[in-house]
Amino acid sequence: MLTKTKSPLLEVRRLQKHFPVKGSREKVKAVERVSFELAAGRTFAIVGESGCGKTTVAKMVLGLDAPTAGEIRFDGTDISQLTGAGRNAWRRQVQAVFQDPYASLNPRLLVRTIIAEPLLANERLSKAQVSLRVDQMLDVVGLPRGSAARYPHEFSGGQRQRIAVARALVLRPRLLVLDEPTSALDVSIRAQILNLLGDIQAEFGVGYLLIAHDLALVEHFADAVGVMYLGEMVEQGPTAEVFNSSRHPYTRALLGSVLQPDPNVPLPTGMISGEIGSALAPPSGCRFHPRCPLAVAACRVDVPDPTYYTPTHWASCHVEAARSPMAN
Amino acid sequence: MQHVDQREIGPSAPVAASGFKPLLKITGLKSYIDVKGGMVRAVDGVNLEVGERETLGIVGESGSGKTMTGMSILRLLPQPGGRIVEGSIELDGVDLARLSEREMAREWRGRRVSMVSQDPLTSLNPVYSVGDQVRGPFRYHGLASTYAQAQRSAIEVLGRVQIPSPERRLNDYPHQFSGGMRQRVVSAMAIACKPRLLIADEPTSALDVTIQIQMINLLKQIQRDTGVGIILITHDMGLAASICDRVAVMYAGRVVECGDVRKIYASPRHPYTQALLGSIPRLGQPRQRLSAIPGQPPSLLNPPNGCRFAARCAHRMPRCEVEYPPEFQVDGGQRVACWLAEEATSAD
Repeated sequence: MLTKTKSPLLEVRRLQKHFPVKGSREKVKAVERVSFELAAGRTFAIVGESGCGKTTVAKMVLGLDAPTAGEIRFDGTDISQLTGAGRNAWRRQVQAVFQDPYASLNPRLLVRTIIAEPLLANERLSKAQVSLRVDQMLDVVGLPRGSAARYPHEFSGGQRQRIAVARALVLRPRLLVLDEPTSALDVSIRAQILNLLGDIQAEFGVGYLLIAHDLALVEHFADAVGVMYLGEMVEQGPTAEVFNSSRHPYTRALLGSVLQPDPNVPLPTGMISGEIGSALAPPSGCRFHPRCPLAVAACRVDVPDPTYYTPTHWASCHVEAARSPMAN
Repeated sequence: MQHVDQREIGPSAPVAASGFKPLLKITGLKSYIDVKGGMVRAVDGVNLEVGERETLGIVGESGSGKTMTGMSILRLLPQPGGRIVEGSIELDGVDLARLSEREMAREWRGRRVSMVSQDPLTSLNPVYSVGDQVRGPFRYHGLASTYAQAQRSAIEVLGRVQIPSPERRLNDYPHQFSGGMRQRVVSAMAIACKPRLLIADEPTSALDVTIQIQMINLLKQIQRDTGVGIILITHDMGLAASICDRVAVMYAGRVVECGDVRKIYASPRHPYTQALLGSIPRLGQPRQRLSAIPGQPPSLLNPPNGCRFAARCAHRMPRCEVEYPPEFQVDGGQRVACWLAEEATSAD
């Protein structure tokens, strides 16, 4: 078991991101009041439909986008306060694997160069040291060492994703942001990559921030999960609790929409109607209320606060809070 | 496994249909695509049947030939280079593979067999209004002789796919619709001429999960109302389980297993089907290491002589590497292209 340290690896507090709209004073409210923590060597997953803001959160954690409010702490330090050497040190420790390995690898570079690039940019190493590190990484991701002298197009999707993982790991990061790491891959290849990522975490103690929409994958892979809807986190907690005793109607609808690979499970009848609203003018009160089967008058007016059902599991829903107020 | 009706199924042998009136029968279909440096054997000896009111799922990974099978039926193989080399595609007794392009276009494609494709954003023309596009099939196939008639039909069919107040949306353009609504528009065009067969190629994979359920329920509703036979092409084993009556599993251009959906999922007989079902994480299952399939599918430019799954198969025998197994019929009407199916039956 991990001992509880003073500060978690990653701590996100009331994160907000508003994007300006050209020629208008309106703002796209992409992310609002998002908070979560990730302990070293653990996996936190963010799930939600397209447009819910999960990728925007990932980008801010990677430092590719600046939040309009709130803070991101890495190892206890607010990353917006980092400059110079401190900023470089943080950058080395946070790396990413993206969805599409056909788009994320430069087709004109040799695999050796692709994997070595972060090293060349961040560390002063001799040629021999670089090539040793590249070979080590190829071993870790299960590719033959000869791959280094080939180009990305010579590899299949699954192998390319292994190259992307090798590149992300070469600086020995402590946090990997995995943005839909398997959804561009074939079913039989997905399991290979998931097992690989699991092995890497067990061996190197890397923390994972997983962005995904496949709930079965999340249940299989993540220790804790946050469910986002239209820019807000609506429920959060340990994966087993969120999946087995969901508190938010949106979480239940998402889980109810999963098509199980079992013909004896009847087709879900569509628990919620309508479509996700606009982040430009999000619905008042609870943002989910226009689609919610349980919505009452208060939902249209008041933004629900999180109610904690266990010390680590909360949901923001007026109806659920009234029905079963905080346990214990 | 005892008392098995075990026999080889030749290309012309009738396949036990499952209580549905036969509609489509594909026999020995081979579709090849000429590319620089060779010929891709995209579809390489496929036998399939679809009945009225039946949903057949074609499942498989990218490059398995499932989409090219659908494109062969529609006679829309990629050009230049794509062609049907062998086999027949009989829809209501007419062999589509032998029709001229003119006959195919006038009488069949879009009329008796139509398609819903994956991405509604690319299957709708962005510079024509939705009304223009939905009126199209009615005018082209002569089902409406006047504009007003086509307009009425377009409103009616958009209503059937549950687009709210269709009469007010006809002048809107595709970008003014959400993803789910766009896919409804595409479905409206596909069912406009009351086709006999609908080919749905990954109809929901561009949609969010909650919208996906709405779309699937709509397709089933259409089937109940019109009796249309549906071929669902997908890589999603969950989707196929939810709505198909029968499932055909494709691997490297061939059907490796085909049969009743419950039988396939409960007792898959082909090692590939078994491995595929074993590699999916399932909701509510205790967390364990996934059983991955090692390696990757073979190139279809130069496929191996024997079983195409042999290199990745845990049950590989010497015979598998030299001789492609015929389709064996095992108990319950499942067809399995694997020597194990023969071994198992003769061992009993």
